[in-house]
Amino acid sequence: MTATQAKVGLRDFSMLIALVLISCVFWLMDPTFLSARNLSQLAIELSATAVLSLGMLLIIVPGHIDLSVGSGLGLVGGLAAVLITGHGVSAPLALLVSAVVSVVIYAAMGAMIVKEKIPSFIITLGGLLVFKGVHWLVIGNSTIPVVTGGSQNLYSILTTYYLPPALGYVLAAAIVVLLGLAAWNNLKKRKARKLEADTEAAFLRWFLSAQLLVLFVVVLNQYRGMPLSLLVLGATAFVIHVISQHFRFGRYLYAIGGNEEAALVSGVPTGKVVVLAFAVMGVIVAISGFLQTAFAGASTTTTGALMELDAIAACVIGGTSLKGGRGTVVGVLFGALIMCVLLNGMTLLALSPEMKFIARGVVLALAVWMDVRLSRSSARA
Amino acid sequence: MGSPEGREPVLEARGLVKRFGQVLALRGVDFDLRHAEVHALCGENGAGKSTLIKTLSGLYPYGSYEGEILMSGQVQRFAAIADSEKSGLSVIHQELALVPEMTVAENVFLGHEPLRFGAVDHDRMLGETDKLLSRWGIDVSANATIADLGVGQRQLVEIAKALRKESKVLILDEPSAALTDKEVATLLAIVRELRSRGVSSVYISHRLEEVFALSDRITVLRDGQTVVTLDTAKTDRAAIIAHMVGREIDNLFPRRRSEPGKSLLTVKGLSVAERRGEKARLSDVSFDLRQGEVLGIGGLMGAGRSELLMHLFGVWGDRMTGSVELEKAPLAQAPSACIEQGVVLVTEDRKRYGLVLNQTVGFNLSLSAIDEFSPHGFVDRDRELKRNAEYVDSMRIKCSGQETVAGTLSGGNQQKIVLGKALMTKPKVVLLDEPTRGIDVGAKYEIYELINDLTAQGVAVLLVSSELPELIGMSDRILMLAEGRIGGSFEGNQISQEALLAAAMRPSQRAPHPEET
Repeated sequence: MTATQAKVGLRDFSMLIALVLISCVFWLMDPTFLSARNLSQLAIELSATAVLSLGMLLIIVPGHIDLSVGSGLGLVGGLAAVLITGHGVSAPLALLVSAVVSVVIYAAMGAMIVKEKIPSFIITLGGLLVFKGVHWLVIGNSTIPVVTGGSQNLYSILTTYYLPPALGYVLAAAIVVLLGLAAWNNLKKRKARKLEADTEAAFLRWFLSAQLLVLFVVVLNQYRGMPLSLLVLGATAFVIHVISQHFRFGRYLYAIGGNEEAALVSGVPTGKVVVLAFAVMGVIVAISGFLQTAFAGASTTTTGALMELDAIAACVIGGTSLKGGRGTVVGVLFGALIMCVLLNGMTLLALSPEMKFIARGVVLALAVWMDVRLSRSSARA
Repeated sequence: MGSPEGREPVLEARGLVKRFGQVLALRGVDFDLRHAEVHALCGENGAGKSTLIKTLSGLYPYGSYEGEILMSGQVQRFAAIADSEKSGLSVIHQELALVPEMTVAENVFLGHEPLRFGAVDHDRMLGETDKLLSRWGIDVSANATIADLGVGQRQLVEIAKALRKESKVLILDEPSAALTDKEVATLLAIVRELRSRGVSSVYISHRLEEVFALSDRITVLRDGQTVVTLDTAKTDRAAIIAHMVGREIDNLFPRRRSEPGKSLLTVKGLSVAERRGEKARLSDVSFDLRQGEVLGIGGLMGAGRSELLMHLFGVWGDRMTGSVELEKAPLAQAPSACIEQGVVLVTEDRKRYGLVLNQTVGFNLSLSAIDEFSPHGFVDRDRELKRNAEYVDSMRIKCSGQETVAGTLSGGNQQKIVLGKALMTKPKVVLLDEPTRGIDVGAKYEIYELINDLTAQGVAVLLVSSELPELIGMSDRILMLAEGRIGGSFEGNQISQEALLAAAMRPSQRAPHPEET
């Protein structure tokens, strides 16, 4: 058990180190990388990708995969935009309707995977193509803005609203306190049960995250404040973490990914659990679709393109096993951050799109290789 | 049996110490294997046999253990299994390492395929495999696909694979666990023949009959230490068992009968096919299981014992006719619903159906009963940890804590997790499929005691076992299955090995209905 915990810790910190290294390189090449403006921009870019990656975690942990989410989120974002600008539906209602459609579609895909025993790879590959076609039909191959003529609505403010600085500080302080309380409570309980409880590591982890969080808010407040989209990401991350670590449903996801037959015989309703995971993915696709579309200001034929690969890459970089049974929210957040920092930095340096693709691919392969090496050496120790 | 005394050792372990974190798996093992000797290794699960083999064969590389490994007097520093194989040491593992989609010949030559003009020479491969198999009296076709073979035949193929390498030292880890009597005879003949040709073998088995029939010397391990090494001719079973458990066990089957209560599980005219439209694998099976009794289910391999249990639990087969009722209500045909109704299955194949091996002991223990700790979906970790800790204690699961990864434990301890997981659901009926397969005398005894505790509390147990002494020793009544039908039902002094075997081999005709009791 000591080994498992040490390994998790090492993995977490190794990703942090990689992140710091990458950031330093970009900062040295272009000091504006760490400017308040760019970091604010990065936070908004990160939101859609990271939210999507967190949903992907719930699909990969039980041993499935979802290739359709990129075109799926394009479709859902596009549908909401068309409802608002094309049919005059109010923004909140348009978002709600699109989200419901998304949940129904994804639950249906989950049901097909479970009931008809078609591999998720195939079903969602089909979804990728179908959703792309439907998306283009829905927006009529044109550019549909999320709001008409320069005004604002719930859809558009998703990526343009910033929290007032004071509220940002209050929020950050509240989170730091809550994190501390949760960690302390957890330590106390573990000690009471005579389980391994490393006070030092827990404190270090809390202290580091608190510092990073406060620093981040200070920097963001120098620009316009904390972006609303980052708040959406934070809330999503919290919910997914609680679902995966503290709910029966989460327990079942890991059991199915670890050994599906044993899970079934142990009384896990494996079918229902996987369908539910896909339904949750429907919600996630809707959220990241709204964020991504709002970020661009309009739904276009390329909205969401290749985002499924970013999400899968973020999961894998974050230590999620594609065979299922292993992966954490914190890991995935780091994975998404690494992918986004890379893209943002390279854009800042005005690298050509060719180079960007190549660099992201190499980083993905490197990260997985490192992870495999790490887990091998810790398994042997 | 020749006397290997005075012959030079071909394989030696001196003071081997192996740690996993803070756990000492081996705490000073001394062992020597002489030329042309069969040396049996006995010990309870968790005694360190598997760790010893993994260390000897280089799976745990040089540097990860303390002490010395010598072959023919030379200190060895194996970095990997390939190194020990090069030195002439082959291990036949408990877990089979065959590719199920490939043929026997392809598996035997896997990684060493004979080439002809750069392409695999299939004719030569088949021919040489045929020769090898018939030379050793292994009754398997070289061209058969592994997936079509039984477990016993696969084990023999595994042995043929090692024979092809012409090793000087062969380590057989529980080679007979899944073999029929006939296959065991073939296996023993092979090992004897190898001995006469100067090959030394380390033979690990829980079946003491084989150990005594085959070995020249016996070494007993307990708690990671060598307890004793004895000449087989100068000792007996009772002495070996006493050394293994560190205490005398006078009664192997401690069944304490309790007065059966009301009827719990009623099965009527059950016929089941594996898939819709196929022929019946279970035909017209009827029985009644009452509170506090152990109903044994016996039969030969393929008689449908495991299938019956798996079908009752809703994970196998398509029901053609018949009904299954629990306390007069139909029993659901899905594991989650069965568990809710109070029926639970302890599977025979714990790696496949029993455990999530990459998760912790605690995760596995509470997996079936998690509803109890999460009434609204949110898991009450505190209550769960407490309950898990109780089960780790009461089941005497040897681990450094409930957060130990389940896959790192020994077979007997894994089996106890599977049992603990089932019992945590507070079942009324427990379906036990070969609960003591591949585990040692001490752990067996603990599981028998557990069966007694359960029936004393009014739980009904359906016990499938392929070991007749166990079936006879632990059951109150016994049903024998023959080709999916009930070949006979036995109770009290009707029970004898001969009568049971006769019923198991009864040709498939209309079997008599079980007596109403």
